[in-house]
Amino acid sequence: MKSAIIGFVLALCAAFALSAAPADVTYTEGDAVVKTKAGATHDVRIGDTLVTGDTLRTGSDGLAELDQTGVTIHVASNTVFTLMERQVTGQPSTVLSVALGSIKFKYGKLTGTEPGVRTNGASAGVRGTEFSVYAGADGSTLITVDTGVVTVESQGKSVDLAADMGVDIPLGQPPGDPFTVQRNQIDYSQWNDSKVQAMLYDPLAALDNIETAMASYEQDVASYVKDFNDYSQQLKKERANYADILQKQGADIAGKYNQDVVYPLMLKTLALGLNVRYSSLAALSLRRFVAGRLYVTERVKYIDREDSSEWQDFLQKYTIILDGFEKMIAPQLVEADI
Amino acid sequence: MRRLLLAAVVCAAALALGSCASLQRSFDEGDMKKIVDLVNRGQQDALAGMSTTPFLVDGEVVVLPADVAGFWAGIVKSGYRVQGAALASGAKVAVDSYTLFASTMEVKSFFGRYVKDGGRILELTTDGGKRVRILLRSAWPGWKIAGWKGPF
Repeated sequence: MKSAIIGFVLALCAAFALSAAPADVTYTEGDAVVKTKAGATHDVRIGDTLVTGDTLRTGSDGLAELDQTGVTIHVASNTVFTLMERQVTGQPSTVLSVALGSIKFKYGKLTGTEPGVRTNGASAGVRGTEFSVYAGADGSTLITVDTGVVTVESQGKSVDLAADMGVDIPLGQPPGDPFTVQRNQIDYSQWNDSKVQAMLYDPLAALDNIETAMASYEQDVASYVKDFNDYSQQLKKERANYADILQKQGADIAGKYNQDVVYPLMLKTLALGLNVRYSSLAALSLRRFVAGRLYVTERVKYIDREDSSEWQDFLQKYTIILDGFEKMIAPQLVEADI
Repeated sequence: MRRLLLAAVVCAAALALGSCASLQRSFDEGDMKKIVDLVNRGQQDALAGMSTTPFLVDGEVVVLPADVAGFWAGIVKSGYRVQGAALASGAKVAVDSYTLFASTMEVKSFFGRYVKDGGRILELTTDGGKRVRILLRSAWPGWKIAGWKGPF
């Protein structure tokens, strides 16, 4: 089924030239690399263009600035940023994903078709012109708004943030209460360090949050896959009907049937396929940049105390999360995603 | 006379093969000792410099260079030492070698993408009967460490 969904999505995207707006690299310094959607990795250079599926990673001395049709994206050091795509209202829509680190977004002017922003644990609808997104190592998110309004959503609940407001969203939980922030006064390192300390103080609680967030992605994927399969079957049937009509009633009637029935069905199926990929890659981001990093930290901590109950408890819970990922998400990924 | 010649050829071939195997084993032992020595002497920077990105820790694909360095720094900080290391086996990476680290899609993809050519897996035994697996990837002019599993 994996190849069916991915193949369908790629073929239709190519056929209808559907893809999210690319982002041009306008500035870069220090350690900054891009992993393309095909899996190749190279240093980022000014003038490069990032397309859907590409991931930009900055190191401790790395910075990058991107321009995406009127949005200026400042990528800070130690950040992982991916250009993603999903379908929400029948059209492909860009999603700017911050898996780790901090990014400041600045919109020239609002057009109503602004790309959404996501982290491993929250999403933001943009109605503001200048705001920052901080993605912590524990999967939590901090969003602060300089101007305009940003709607932040997590676990089915949302809050509106006006200028000079911020909100903290713990992984797997709804947004907290908005608070007032001093503009440009957030210290990402300090904020992230406090999150890491809390995570390492209680790794099992951190795993609970990861499990909740991962379950949410798995549910989305299962739901999209089921609908994709249903629509694929229906599409197959309607294509057969179209061929039958073409043969028996001629090209004009068949053409109208194609336009009224087959084409809309095809777009709907494409939307579902895109959303399967989107949710699967979002789950991979959570797995890679939150769960996996926590595992390595704990593994090293207990490297010579494998039999300790703390490590065994951690491992037991972690294995459950991995099993779910392997069963529900991995079948929707391809080698180049890894 | 013909039989004698054939026997000589067979013996020579067997000797050559045996020499190759023992030569490879001595290479593997040398590589293992170099890595173990760096771990035991707490040479985290050297280990990080000899490691690839992405890097495999058990079944986890580590994609950030800072995290690979953090892994070695964590090992050193924990005071872990590979005591009494002995090479149990050294083998060329094969199609199903990924299962030696984890039987998952991610690890299979990692092997498929990053260590398909010239990779070797060294398995060592340590004091207390624990084992460690080290994944090496060929990189000019020698090799790099691409993964670590254990002790288990």
